[in-house]
Amino acid sequence: MWKTIVRRVLVMIPQLFVLSLLIFGLAKLMPGDPFTGMITPQTDPNVIEELREKAGLNDPWYVQYYHWIVNAFHGDFGDSYAFKDSVSSLIGERALNTFWLSLFTVLLVYLIAIPLGIYAGRFQNSLFDKGTVLYSFVTYAIPTFVLGLLILFFFGYKLDWFPTSGSVDVKYDAGTWGYFMSKLYHLILPGFTGAILGTTSVIQYLRSEVIDAKTQDYVKTARSKGVPMKKIYSKHIFRNSLLPIAAFLGFTITGLLGGSIFIETIFGYPGMGQLFIESLGQRDYSVITALVMLFGFLSLLGSLLSDIIMSIVDPRIRIE
Amino acid sequence: MKKRSRLLLTVLAALMLVLAACSGNGDTSKDTGKDSGGKAPEKVDTSKFPLTQENNDEAIKGGTLKVGLQSDGPFKGMFLYELYEDAYDAEILAYTSNSLFPTKEDFLLDDTGLGKLSVDEGAKKATITIQKDVKWSDGKPFTADDVIYPYLIIGNKDYTGVRYDANFQNIVGAKEYHAGKAKDISGIKKVDDHTVEISFHKISPAIYSGGDGLWGYAAPKHQLKDIAIKDLQKSDAVRKNPVTLGAFVINKIVKGESVEMVANKNYWKGQPKIDKVVISTVSSATAAEAMKTGKFDVLAPNYPANDYSAIKDLNNITVLGRPELAYSYIGFKQGKWDSKKGEVVVDENAKLSDPNLRKAIAYGMDVETVAEQYYEGLRSRGNSLIPPVFSAYYDDTLEGYKYDPEKAKKLLDDAGYKDKDNDGYREDKDGKPLTINLAGMAGSDKDNKIVQYYIQNWKEVGLKVELTTGRLIEFNAFYDKVKADDKDIDMYMAAWGTGTDPSPIGLYSKKASFNYARWTTPELEKQLEAIDSKEALDNDYRAEAFRKWQETMYEDAVTVPTYFRTELIPVNKRVKNWSIDYLSKITLEQVELTADEPIKNQ
Repeated sequence: MWKTIVRRVLVMIPQLFVLSLLIFGLAKLMPGDPFTGMITPQTDPNVIEELREKAGLNDPWYVQYYHWIVNAFHGDFGDSYAFKDSVSSLIGERALNTFWLSLFTVLLVYLIAIPLGIYAGRFQNSLFDKGTVLYSFVTYAIPTFVLGLLILFFFGYKLDWFPTSGSVDVKYDAGTWGYFMSKLYHLILPGFTGAILGTTSVIQYLRSEVIDAKTQDYVKTARSKGVPMKKIYSKHIFRNSLLPIAAFLGFTITGLLGGSIFIETIFGYPGMGQLFIESLGQRDYSVITALVMLFGFLSLLGSLLSDIIMSIVDPRIRIE
Repeated sequence: MKKRSRLLLTVLAALMLVLAACSGNGDTSKDTGKDSGGKAPEKVDTSKFPLTQENNDEAIKGGTLKVGLQSDGPFKGMFLYELYEDAYDAEILAYTSNSLFPTKEDFLLDDTGLGKLSVDEGAKKATITIQKDVKWSDGKPFTADDVIYPYLIIGNKDYTGVRYDANFQNIVGAKEYHAGKAKDISGIKKVDDHTVEISFHKISPAIYSGGDGLWGYAAPKHQLKDIAIKDLQKSDAVRKNPVTLGAFVINKIVKGESVEMVANKNYWKGQPKIDKVVISTVSSATAAEAMKTGKFDVLAPNYPANDYSAIKDLNNITVLGRPELAYSYIGFKQGKWDSKKGEVVVDENAKLSDPNLRKAIAYGMDVETVAEQYYEGLRSRGNSLIPPVFSAYYDDTLEGYKYDPEKAKKLLDDAGYKDKDNDGYREDKDGKPLTINLAGMAGSDKDNKIVQYYIQNWKEVGLKVELTTGRLIEFNAFYDKVKADDKDIDMYMAAWGTGTDPSPIGLYSKKASFNYARWTTPELEKQLEAIDSKEALDNDYRAEAFRKWQETMYEDAVTVPTYFRTELIPVNKRVKNWSIDYLSKITLEQVELTADEPIKNQ
């Protein structure tokens, strides 16, 4: 298995290289550049031209690519054109925000979805099951921004229970207990919105797996041995029906850094999704390329992780 | 396993569809319901908007002013006048302003501020005298060095901002300093601790509105002097704890999200009456709700005009309004930009080279109805390329191209554009089909409706107008195409902000790359030069020059103004002494609050 993992990691290098070429080329093909948005009668066009020249944007693309890749190998992804800050520190801040939000969301998803899925499957066609199915249809059908705005308006503005924007209250100093609590407080609304939307697939998988498992031979065997029903569900069926979720776990872990554009925008939460969209709009090349490379790397890593996890939880699968 | 993965794919595909559907609707959601009622919105009388909220209630002691920064992304956070680039940072900077000169009528510099300007036009020199005994927020004295230091930042070869421009090079010795040949700018002299003398290559009327290279802000030299110029933009002195001369000082900051400021005890006009200001971002989709529920006292930079109905009936706020320093226009392409020579080349065979055709297009646009119906009166028909705020320069006698389809038809008939094959559209003078390509910027749903309405207007006078690329164009792509004189653009709709010096030379002269209509005549050149000439140092002469230029632009009908704009700023009723009047003498230190929290809508 170790051999395979090393091989997979090595294969990532050419994959990432191709991705970097693609994204670099595509980014340059977009109309405009980071300085297009600067035109005002107060700005001297020659100054903009000079900045463009200084930034090397007038060089042919392969020259620009060469400079970029050489710097990237030294861990330097350049400066953001829009934020005038180094790309790594910019992404670092946002990644941390997004990480906390995603972690909170994922925990909530499992907390809500696992009991619902298992019980709905166990008591198939009961009122509880029907309620759960209805719940997943509704959350499946509702668009993110509708749910996000509804939750924000109701709990944020109408009831005034939760903060409506940002990731932390400005009055606390970093590192204090109040700061931590304020961060958590700001996570609740966006976290819940993401969690409600995220539960659908987990519930449906679990439910159908449990229903499937009920008629499997190993369950019949266990029952004929006289194992109590409670134990059959908590030991035998539960483990087996978690398999499809385990298959996603790798992606879920790496997806913690991807962020959600809608939720972040609605709740004014500065994370990765928002940064990505914004840098696209402003043609902030250095940020765009760094982000896509990061996302690409994360999905490759995620698929590897998923395979490894699967081979651990399901002995029938072997990585060769 | 197989079955499972197929299910997974379906779920994923369905999710993606949902997401894709969202992205199309994301920012239009707030528009819905506005136009669907079928009722025409009431027209607003923009002159009725107050400029100032005085509030006669008794003020509380201190308090925190809450400012909503309406932005869908984080702010950049460069708190130094020499470096900042966008309107959001400017809004925050206004509370910690190092400005030397306030402005009076027509945005001319006034000498009631920290600095007094006197200009020796003959010797091409300006002298700035600053007030004595003024202290920075950290208690250090404010001296002439702090007035000189900004010039050394901007002129430095490592400077990363956009302000080392042709104007700045007008300072004697700026170029040498920028090239690294001199240690200082030779034209800037420190006369004594409170006096600075600056020599220029030429002096024009612009200097009285802060142009010609004159810089209107001070920078705290004692805080910045040890930071290399190229590192300034990342330094804490700029990002976290700038020392200021303004009414407030930044105390805490959450990067990109919010800023907490406290009153500056050393403020030269006396300590502000409120204790704190907290500025935090709010997304445009929820800005109205935030004002309604009293989350903020005031919104900055302004409230979107096309969503006015969401706030107009709230009883906890006052909506202040003032004319914006901007105009929208339609431009007719007349030539190309010669990038080698750096000048405009007019093409006499351009599709819209006949002035009567251009005038007919202008008369055929029902701007009045669009301004009333779609913008609820918050836009009005523009008649000139100088907004009326510049009362001395604005020509109110210009007729403008008021909607008149009959006149448009007559102009077209007389000019030889006739419908010979009876398809409802006119052919050109040679009888060949005429299709005019219009480029416009994509924005909200409303922009689409508006442009379709205009296309309908033009159809009614017999002109076939189509959108370049078949739809409205994304901002960056739009300016890329307009700048490159794309052959598929015959005319385009855009807008310019004028800033506080409305001098049009940078937008309409032969050498101006921003002259996107690519139109120039010897007469226009003369008129443009007259506006910024030496003679124009006499204000009457300058006003007259502005007038002549406006008339010629009106006659040429190459850049036709469409709307003047009104900007709206909602203010909570607990705020006392808040003014958006360009001429107001009410400043931040006088602002007070009359309740502990912003008032909610009942």
